[in-house]
Amino acid sequence: MDQNQIIFDKPSFIERLKRMLGVDFYRLLHTPVFYIFLAISAIIPAMVLSMTGMSQEGEIAKPLYTETWQMIAAKQPLYVVNDIADYANMNMVFIFGGIMISIFIGHDYRSGYVKQLFTTHPQKQDYMLSKSLTGAFSMTCMCVTYIIGTVFSGILSGTSFEVNVSSLLISILSKMILSLGWAGLYTFINVILRKHFGIAIALSFFIGTGIPVIGAAAIVGNSSLLNLFLYGSSVYACLGSSVTAFFSGAIVSIVWFIFYAFLGSVILSKSDVY
Amino acid sequence: MFAIEIKDLTKSFKGLRAVDGLTMKVPVGSIYGFIGENGSGKSTTEKLICGHLVPDGGTIKLFGKDYRDAGVRAKVGALIENAGCFPNSSVYNNLKMQAINLGLKNSDEEINRVLKIVRMEKDAQIKFKNCSLGMKQRVGIAMALLGSPALLILDEPINGLDADGMRIMREILTDITATYGSTVLISSHVFGELEKIATHYGIIKQGKLIREISANEMKRTSKSYILVECDDNKKAIKFLSLKYDGAVSDDYGKLRVYGDEASSDIAEYLLSNGIRIKYLKKNKIRLEEYYLDVMSRKEKC
Repeated sequence: MDQNQIIFDKPSFIERLKRMLGVDFYRLLHTPVFYIFLAISAIIPAMVLSMTGMSQEGEIAKPLYTETWQMIAAKQPLYVVNDIADYANMNMVFIFGGIMISIFIGHDYRSGYVKQLFTTHPQKQDYMLSKSLTGAFSMTCMCVTYIIGTVFSGILSGTSFEVNVSSLLISILSKMILSLGWAGLYTFINVILRKHFGIAIALSFFIGTGIPVIGAAAIVGNSSLLNLFLYGSSVYACLGSSVTAFFSGAIVSIVWFIFYAFLGSVILSKSDVY
Repeated sequence: MFAIEIKDLTKSFKGLRAVDGLTMKVPVGSIYGFIGENGSGKSTTEKLICGHLVPDGGTIKLFGKDYRDAGVRAKVGALIENAGCFPNSSVYNNLKMQAINLGLKNSDEEINRVLKIVRMEKDAQIKFKNCSLGMKQRVGIAMALLGSPALLILDEPINGLDADGMRIMREILTDITATYGSTVLISSHVFGELEKIATHYGIIKQGKLIREISANEMKRTSKSYILVECDDNKKAIKFLSLKYDGAVSDDYGKLRVYGDEASSDIAEYLLSNGIRIKYLKKNKIRLEEYYLDVMSRKEKC
């Protein structure tokens, strides 16, 4: 190889991103962790529905859910949690997604794989975007298995399926598109805390539970300002949603996604890989 | 143009200078042995070239372009500290991911090619965590070789390898430079192995490059000596020291007479003083001795 014969083809941003996504999707689809989380997402609604209304010392407890679709979204956007039925719905997927992204990024660093990656052409923004998009895809898949699990458990438990179909679809689509913002947030947290895997996974879990927003709601009440945050928008996407909820959720999700991807890229490019 | 051209490179960790104004030039197509004691800044320099660390100052150019240029980086392969593979994934899957990252069209063919080079074509389906140390090193080399890189950076690739593993690694490196004309930057403490393949050397001390020399230049300029072993070395060194300034005992129980003395003169002199010679050979100093010599001179300075 003569020095004059070496051809340095500079891959464009789109080309780099396509390759990076190719790597991340290949890895995602070849790892058992992804399928485990899909299964967990399907099983959780069955567990919750089957446990509500179970006999307690001879008495039949009042069921938490009167309608199956409450497992997908609450009837009203209540940020202050009064009972578990307002809280335990498809938003739980965002907790699983956070843990999964932590495991994925944590393994990138712990195995030393990022060294191989960053030795070659990928830039830091390629990594941020690819991880976020792959994470969003996996959370969307979890939403699908969660819905399947909900339908099956609803049929088995005989819970009502009565619902306003358009509101249900809006809430489902809103939560799916909010996966993008959540994935951006988790990618950011895990990239910043790349040297502290334990803290990263714990923080991802903590934020995924929505406790910071629930805590804020306890002070400011059910304020629509909370919709500016990912958890707030996720709650806002409820069974009483109009199309406004979808658009506001989409905007919140995309804005946070861009914000975290940009901030993460800047921080990563100014700091050592590991 | 050089494969690597570094000027005034600096990098500190918590106030401690790991690389201190380092300047080096690695010619295209060379196997550049990068040597220095532990903590001298070898690995840090390699990590800086690979883009793993952000330099505090200085410039790094690869093939005349900024080291961050995506086009150049796509032609760099590295094995730094470990292979950087997912332990629960198979050797094949790890290579496949890197092949996708590099955008290789015929990725399976390319994976088979590099596995053949590292003599692991039958081990593709083994999980990486189940590979032996030598196999892991070879997987790391295979990862680095994907896409026929123009520049290969290897940090201690022969550490922990047995004699056979070292031989295989040596053959791999000479093969790829001969076949693909790749440039190799290799750091190692195993001088014996390094001097069999390196065409150039850089000696680093306390973050600075203190000597850069080609293997030919080193052979040409390095000192020669006569290696002697006698039945009474103590007596022999006493006599040799009287006549030859460069006579010393070495660390291996033998005697050396540095300079251009004729072997026959030394033999005659020892025999005339009643000392029987068991072994006598004219030698050139080797890499390890050259390195130690450079390091000690620098210390005296």
